Amino acid sequence: MIGAGTYDPGTGAEDEPLAAGGYRTYEVFQRERVGESAPDLTPRQLIGDEMLTDPYPTLAKMREHSPCYRDWIGNRFWVTRYDDVTSVFADDANYRSRSARGWAGVPQYGRDLGSELPVLWARSNRIDAHLERIVERMIAELRDRPDLATAFAARLPLELWGAMLDLAGDDLAAFSGRLWRMRRSTGWDERSRIDGHRARAELEVSMGVLLEARRHDPGDDLISALATLELVGEPVTAADVVATIFESDDDTLHGGVANLWFQLLTNREQLAVVERAPRLAKQAWHEALRHSPPVHTAARFARHEVERFGRLIPDGALVACSAAAANRDPRVFADPDRFLVERPDLCQREPRGQYRADGLASGIAFGLGRPSVHPALPKERPRSSYAIVRDIAVTATRMLLDAHPGIRLADGASPKLRSLRLGEMYTCWELPVDLG
Amino acid sequence: MTNPFDAVPDLDEPWGAKRKFEHMPLGRAVDMGSADDGTPLIDPRIFDSSEFRRNPYPYYRIMRDHYPVFHDRLHNCYYVTRYTDIEAAYFDEIGFNTIPKGSSSGVLGNTQLELSGLEHRRRRNIYGRHLVGAALTKRLPALRSMAEDLIDQWSLPDNPKGVEVDGDTMVVELGRAFANEFPIGVVAQVLGIPGDARQQFNWWYDAMMAGLGGSDTHHDGLLARQDLENYVATLVEERRTAPTYLYDEDGNEICKDIISELCHAEIDGDVMSTEEITSFVALVVGGGGETTRGAILNLWYLLLQHPDQYQAVLDDPSLWKAAFHEMLRHSTSIGGQPRHNTFDIELHGVSIPAGSLVHMVDVSANHDDRVFDEPERFDIFRDDLYSDKILRSGHDQDGRRSHMAFGVGPHLCPGAWISEQETVIGARVLSERFANVELAVDRMPTDIDEMSLAPIGLGSIRQLWLRVEMTRQS
Repeated sequence: MIGAGTYDPGTGAEDEPLAAGGYRTYEVFQRERVGESAPDLTPRQLIGDEMLTDPYPTLAKMREHSPCYRDWIGNRFWVTRYDDVTSVFADDANYRSRSARGWAGVPQYGRDLGSELPVLWARSNRIDAHLERIVERMIAELRDRPDLATAFAARLPLELWGAMLDLAGDDLAAFSGRLWRMRRSTGWDERSRIDGHRARAELEVSMGVLLEARRHDPGDDLISALATLELVGEPVTAADVVATIFESDDDTLHGGVANLWFQLLTNREQLAVVERAPRLAKQAWHEALRHSPPVHTAARFARHEVERFGRLIPDGALVACSAAAANRDPRVFADPDRFLVERPDLCQREPRGQYRADGLASGIAFGLGRPSVHPALPKERPRSSYAIVRDIAVTATRMLLDAHPGIRLADGASPKLRSLRLGEMYTCWELPVDLG
Repeated sequence: MTNPFDAVPDLDEPWGAKRKFEHMPLGRAVDMGSADDGTPLIDPRIFDSSEFRRNPYPYYRIMRDHYPVFHDRLHNCYYVTRYTDIEAAYFDEIGFNTIPKGSSSGVLGNTQLELSGLEHRRRRNIYGRHLVGAALTKRLPALRSMAEDLIDQWSLPDNPKGVEVDGDTMVVELGRAFANEFPIGVVAQVLGIPGDARQQFNWWYDAMMAGLGGSDTHHDGLLARQDLENYVATLVEERRTAPTYLYDEDGNEICKDIISELCHAEIDGDVMSTEEITSFVALVVGGGGETTRGAILNLWYLLLQHPDQYQAVLDDPSLWKAAFHEMLRHSTSIGGQPRHNTFDIELHGVSIPAGSLVHMVDVSANHDDRVFDEPERFDIFRDDLYSDKILRSGHDQDGRRSHMAFGVGPHLCPGAWISEQETVIGARVLSERFANVELAVDRMPTDIDEMSLAPIGLGSIRQLWLRVEMTRQS
């Protein structure tokens, strides 16, 4: 029997599994395991500064020792293994997504109409028409030791909004600032939340003006597509426009392009691979999203008490599905911490609702997969949001490589990936380059 | 194109989720910013800070006044802070269920805290009868003599209680000398833990308490629980065939001890499993030990800081009860209880999705000036606090409300009556033995200014040093 003086917590005794003593019902046994603890891991680490700069060691500990870790402080369950994460995404009977955005899903804040076919058409047509021109202009404006993170990756989605909404100059700058304030307001910080709500209201006003104007004089831009949309029920409002814009995959595009270039520039031999065979830019994009997804965690909520991962997950519990951890799961990807463009075990197809489309695992990057809600047929459907974002990123990357074949990291630069705040995008915020 | 990031006001002063909050004078809150209309904001990182544990009340006041339901997005939970809201929720067994598997469940197991409705009531009736009424009254002399024994040990030659004797005066740390052991002794006796296992029992208790809440010592707590479980299992096996009893001072049987009682209790024709009994034991140990220890220390700390009220209690010992309840209102050591809402609800304009963790902040209810006038004042004579016989309803016929430290409604603390008796009897015995007593201010932990006495804050005072002169024993 363990006595007061003889028990030494430092001997490794805590690694021993706890023996099940006496009779207990199955349910009680499950409940007891709710308090299972993990060696070398405390919930405080999950809100520590290391999670902002390098969360991977902590995530690896969870993945190896506590595949479903109960985080007492954040009141959530962390799921970190690839198969577990994808199974929670796929399991709509037991889990649901509440909008992480903080206002979508609330009727007064508008509906996300991005999946309506006319809207998707308008988006992809406009992007097809303007993408090359925009990227050319952005590349032409890169001068002496430019910062790819802000002058290229962050600017790309905003310039595209300009093209899709017919905004330019000061209007686009004002739009961009508001969108960015909204993006930063989805976390726990009250001040950014209030600021984001203010930005949302401002955006709604300016979008309302555009919406009315284009309702009477429609063009082929996104707002006209929304304005002329025939919906059952209420007509499209300015709030719907804002929600649709906000729920598109901008942050993945911005963060993904920045992370892709960060990886290419810090792994010269991989950059050389893409330079030799530019068609591999698509594979590099997939690998960058696998290796360093900009959106690290997606929240799912248990619809009812559900038994999973050897424990009872209570009704309404937040299950934090860590894409970052799952994408580095050595059970699925060989040598997962390496950025490898020609990775043989990574699926190159769009994960349409499943993550092993051709037997190989896809990287998890788009929060909940966000595969197209439309079936693969008929042929004349527009591309999904996933494919649109992928094509933008690949095209922009190839054009930048063509324009500046000697591009490399600026001397003395040591760029880092990090989140600005807990739960925000994990990406590279400063990436100075030498155009060669 | 201008950089859109420039449009974002600087919200980034500390980048991480941790933030060091400066310590404020007691009763004043750190400025965490304010909304456009001047409403003060709550930065949820405050709940993890030492400033909050030391000085929680101004923050709870902001929440009561401006956010009666506060959605904490960092910790993924909701706080309910007004007395009447908490009261209503405690009585609403269907709308707010008790199956949150809060942080205690790993260590304590599947306890009464997590049952509801009929199942909860049936078990409560089995446990509860040992802790109230005649069974309790008959055991009061035993409580008294246990307290006397502890105090007698202060002057033993080998000094087991760490008491420093200097002529007629003694310097005593009341926790070590009395409050740590007294409640645990009572609990062990009620449960029927044999005397030779008491020392071991104290260790289990310490480890389990330290292991609550997912702390760094959580794993030790689990080991201790496993160890306790193995031990209780052997006791249970014995007592299933040979029950043991509690006796009053004349040697008459009062009733079976709780473990023996549980061994033979039937619920729907089933006897209780060893696991269930152990979980109950663990809960009683947790509920009956730490809380009462805190109550004893806080009571003395507050009374000695208000000498006029201490004198009044000495003059009229029937006031001890009022002092006890006012202390629990003013500084209870249990912060609140978790609940899960069963349905999607909207409360004070905040929509709470079904299954969310909702903290009922008892500490805040006790300081709600909608119910208690000048709640920060310690006053055993206050007339807006009901402090008579403990009632499940939480209020008397005149509408005076009791404090929320024991909760109200079906989950009212079953140990409320025995803990009241323990604390009051303990305090009376101590006060009778003290000819003179004062705080040993030089030994007491100090506040951040390193001058004034440390506030109780959340929880209980860690150490209580007294300088006493004892009455001469006849």
